[in-house]
Amino acid sequence: MRLLAPLAFAALLQAQEAKNPATSTADVAAGAKTFRSHCSECHGFEAQGGRGPNLASGVFYHGSSDAELLRNISDGIAGTEMPGLFYSPDRVWQVVSYLRSLNARAAPAGDPAKGAAIYGAKGCAKCHRIDGSGGRLGPDLSQIGRARSAEHIRQAIATPNADVRQRYWFVSATGPEGKPVSGFLMNEDTYTVQFMDLGEQLHSMNKSDLRGYQVEMKSRMPPFPMPAADLDNLTAYLVSLRPKGGSK
Amino acid sequence: MKRLGALALAAMTASAQVTFDRLLNAAKEPGQWMTYSGAYNGWRHSPLDQIRRENVSSLQVKWVYQMPTTHLVETTPLVVDGIMYFTEPPSNVVAVDAETGRQFWRYRRELPSKINVCCGQVNRGVAVLGDRVFVGTVDAHLVALDRRTGDVLWDVEVANYRHGYSVTVAPLIVKDMVISGIAGGEYGIRGFLDAYDAATGKRRWRFWTIPGPGEKGNETWSGESWKTGGGSTWVTGSYDPSQNAIVWGVGNPSPDWNGDSRLGDNLYSDSAIALDADTGKLKWHFQFVPHDVHDWDAVQVPVLVDDEFQGRRRKLVYWAHRNGFYYVLDRETGKFLAGKAFATQTWAKGLDPNGRPIRLPNIDPSPEGTYIFPGVQGATNWYSPSYSPVTKLFYLSTWENRSVYRKGEQEYTPGNRYIGSVPLIDLPDDPGWGAIRALNPKTGDRVWEYKLHTKPWSGVLSTAGNLVFGGSDEGHIFALDAATGKEMWRRNVGGIIRSNAISYMSKGKQVVAMAAGSSIFTFELAGR
Repeated sequence: MRLLAPLAFAALLQAQEAKNPATSTADVAAGAKTFRSHCSECHGFEAQGGRGPNLASGVFYHGSSDAELLRNISDGIAGTEMPGLFYSPDRVWQVVSYLRSLNARAAPAGDPAKGAAIYGAKGCAKCHRIDGSGGRLGPDLSQIGRARSAEHIRQAIATPNADVRQRYWFVSATGPEGKPVSGFLMNEDTYTVQFMDLGEQLHSMNKSDLRGYQVEMKSRMPPFPMPAADLDNLTAYLVSLRPKGGSK
Repeated sequence: MKRLGALALAAMTASAQVTFDRLLNAAKEPGQWMTYSGAYNGWRHSPLDQIRRENVSSLQVKWVYQMPTTHLVETTPLVVDGIMYFTEPPSNVVAVDAETGRQFWRYRRELPSKINVCCGQVNRGVAVLGDRVFVGTVDAHLVALDRRTGDVLWDVEVANYRHGYSVTVAPLIVKDMVISGIAGGEYGIRGFLDAYDAATGKRRWRFWTIPGPGEKGNETWSGESWKTGGGSTWVTGSYDPSQNAIVWGVGNPSPDWNGDSRLGDNLYSDSAIALDADTGKLKWHFQFVPHDVHDWDAVQVPVLVDDEFQGRRRKLVYWAHRNGFYYVLDRETGKFLAGKAFATQTWAKGLDPNGRPIRLPNIDPSPEGTYIFPGVQGATNWYSPSYSPVTKLFYLSTWENRSVYRKGEQEYTPGNRYIGSVPLIDLPDDPGWGAIRALNPKTGDRVWEYKLHTKPWSGVLSTAGNLVFGGSDEGHIFALDAATGKEMWRRNVGGIIRSNAISYMSKGKQVVAMAAGSSIFTFELAGR
């Protein structure tokens, strides 16, 4: 037992310093294939996230060194739904290479400072919040750079209807006295609905009490036409919004 | 007093032994719930009628048992002589006082750190025989526990968990044997159904659901594909004492969504099988989906009914399959008698006279994605249906939902996913909906429907009080009028429901129990 401890420590040191031996283009392609078969069900086809976190952004909360990625993919992450794989390390290294190739792509071209100015000028804060300031009708963007890829953010600005989360579907209801009320869907079950109206007030209603009830799966965000350079800058600003502290 | 006490104790000990005879005659003891489906016929019907349509509105919580687990709870509790036994995921077992919910013991299974189970480290319940409680584990063992202490009596390896095998199914006792299935259809296992000696844990027989070379059915697998052909058996089957036959459902072929490497019908995947209980030899089979490429396991509880059918008395099997069709089979031969879609389906024109689906063109998974009803999780799934001898109706939870079936490449490596695809199970802007439905079991015609906003993963229980109990992913447990589907009672218990309800008697009162979230909830009528 006494001998084992220093040995294990040495192995750990070695693993921490481990260098990815599988970084060729062919390795990246093979890693992509493995990723799609084994990981994409939770992490998304392009690692953009889903049931599991986005892995394309380059932000990993359980360790972001190559060796830590190797360990987490091989063994899974205790206390989470992340399972381990029964693959040899060379194959897992390819997956690490694939993720790194996405991370390299994650950095957008624009200037975040210029993007911040556009964010202010376009009035985004009427509906969105960053670090506690802004409106409540749209998604909070304080950590959007961690949650979504640059590509996804760009698309969401240019074509708001491309991907509308259920939380932002639009409810139009007619109350028992015939009074119309509408807002953003927060929750719905067989019997009730909860939503936030345009004045940011919360409503919870029994569906059986309503005279009319309709849910639209469209975004209420208007399109913001802008030059490509501005879009790059705005995207770069949003991508820069990441949690303070923690691993980058 | 001393003498009386001894007598009372003796009486209790005698009745506390679950014998095969008691299991055979479960209908005579409606106050117990001794097997997964309540009785060997798979009906999930309680003959108790204290809770009725007329008084169910006063149903209230009796007790709640909260499990310290973050895994999904899919357990069906058993209640024998005042003690409730249920599993706590991943593979623990708990025994509590069925009257108070207070714990007698808890068996905690130590598990290896790396276990791959396709759809959560779940468990659906225990089996009880004599002084023993039996549980399967996600590291693919079968364990016998002392009924009074939870101490381990034997622990045998069913298969190698490192190769994707796991046990999530509640075992079934037949005679002096523990019948256990296997899971791992997403990992290229070769499936089987096993029988173990309840006393020793020694294996009596194994039926391979994927036949090997020289065995009938092996010709339905091209090349070596039978070795990794799937065919899991992860939902508890039924037992027909009149023919000494175990009737069980078999899961999908592997890889799930790409059938190119396994040309042929792929027997006995997606089939109902009937095995001789003593030998494990196949009596008959019926394959619902030959050469499945949609992951439509036949993992439903077989509902065994003797009734008039087309002018003569027959032994029947009622089966609502994951593929969207309801079937009536002859239980002596496995012959197809009738079938009809019970939910929206866009993959088959219908069933031919032998019950084989008449496939429509362009229904297979494709690289760009193919939209098909029902979705990957089926029009129904593993959660139990119910048959009521009072209404003579068949009840089930159903999904109205489609998926995008994508085809991908796949190579087999031991212990890793072998699915041939990346299916998009839920379409974000078309999530689908669910319903509890009642069918005329002889025709498959719909009698009523209780609509749900979301897709239910909960089974149904019918009772002689003319009620059907069910639950939803929204956290509601409800009771419906068994004749009309009208909602008679409902409670928001606030946790998703992925389990089946049971009913039992405790101190003269009928109790309904069901797992929701990570808790067991029990209900009884208000007042004494």
